[in-house]
Amino acid sequence: MQTESNTLDALMARLADGDRAVFDRVFELLWGPVHRLCITLLKNDADAADAAQEAMQKILDRVSDYDRSRPARPWAMAIAAWECRTLSRKHARRREVDGAEHDRAGEHQEESVIQRNLTAAAIATLGELSEADRETLIATFWDEAASVSGATLRKRRERALDRLRKAFRRLYGLD
Amino acid sequence: MDSTNFTQLQRRVRLAYEFGRLRRALLGVTPVVVIVAVAAYVTHQPISTLWFGLATVFVGAAMLWYGRDPQKAVLPGIAAGLVPLVLALCANHMQACGGDGCSSLCLPACALGGVVAGLAVASVGNQRKAGALFWVSASALALLTGAMGCTCAGSSGVLGLGVAFGAGMVPGLLRRAFGGNAT
Repeated sequence: MQTESNTLDALMARLADGDRAVFDRVFELLWGPVHRLCITLLKNDADAADAAQEAMQKILDRVSDYDRSRPARPWAMAIAAWECRTLSRKHARRREVDGAEHDRAGEHQEESVIQRNLTAAAIATLGELSEADRETLIATFWDEAASVSGATLRKRRERALDRLRKAFRRLYGLD
Repeated sequence: MDSTNFTQLQRRVRLAYEFGRLRRALLGVTPVVVIVAVAAYVTHQPISTLWFGLATVFVGAAMLWYGRDPQKAVLPGIAAGLVPLVLALCANHMQACGGDGCSSLCLPACALGGVVAGLAVASVGNQRKAGALFWVSASALALLTGAMGCTCAGSSGVLGLGVAFGAGMVPGLLRRAFGGNAT
């Protein structure tokens, strides 16, 4: 996985420089992890596919801004997580409109709605954090290669989690 | 996702990549647009300056969009071209007067600026151990930028710039060819 990550870093740097020959390989290396992340966050295959496609467009659109001193995968995953958050918010708004219909739904459906809302809330809170914090948390919970390791990563993770908690409390008034 | 959809997605993402680069390139040439506007305002031949300026902006944007060596050549090329441009624009407003009357300093300014620009491009090219594409791209941009000012002496000004630029590059090209033994 570390080797794959290093390969992606090198290929991403070449693509950022304008070397189109590596485009297909970068696409292949990114598509799987981005799609999986979207499935984990959105818990719905169709939504995940939509979000992953949007995310891939955004990632490759911004590839020229990629900072070579940082690992490519967490950077791409942060963009993908943001895209999932946007889609999730859009769906949450739609659900609010269709609220009456949801009231009639059964207990199981209610649970699933709660789960989805919680996920949407978590993603929204993640969006409130800085890019560095998002990258740290994504590296922690989705087992991506972070730009740092060991004690530095632990400290960053601790601080990022603290800020995540504070942001969640500020947005929703509870832990 | 089936292979057709996957290919379509790949094509769409590739388009997004190219548009992203184009957007960045257009943003990158904004300072050149400002330089062209100032040059056209100061010079006595705004039309020819604008034509060369338009070419500079277009070529600069294309290089930034393409990437690799041409992208890296944009900044040194424009910077080197600013020397003959500024010298020519200043000379445009000065005249050397002697017993026989007055003459424009435009042509000498273009020649001097061209030599300095050629030396600068060659020096950066050698320092970076850059490939031929870098040299060609940086030279093209330096000449186009300089030509915006050298229109003050008509086509002979632009020609003088080109010849002087070539002369300025000779030491650097020799050093490149003979691996640092020539000066």
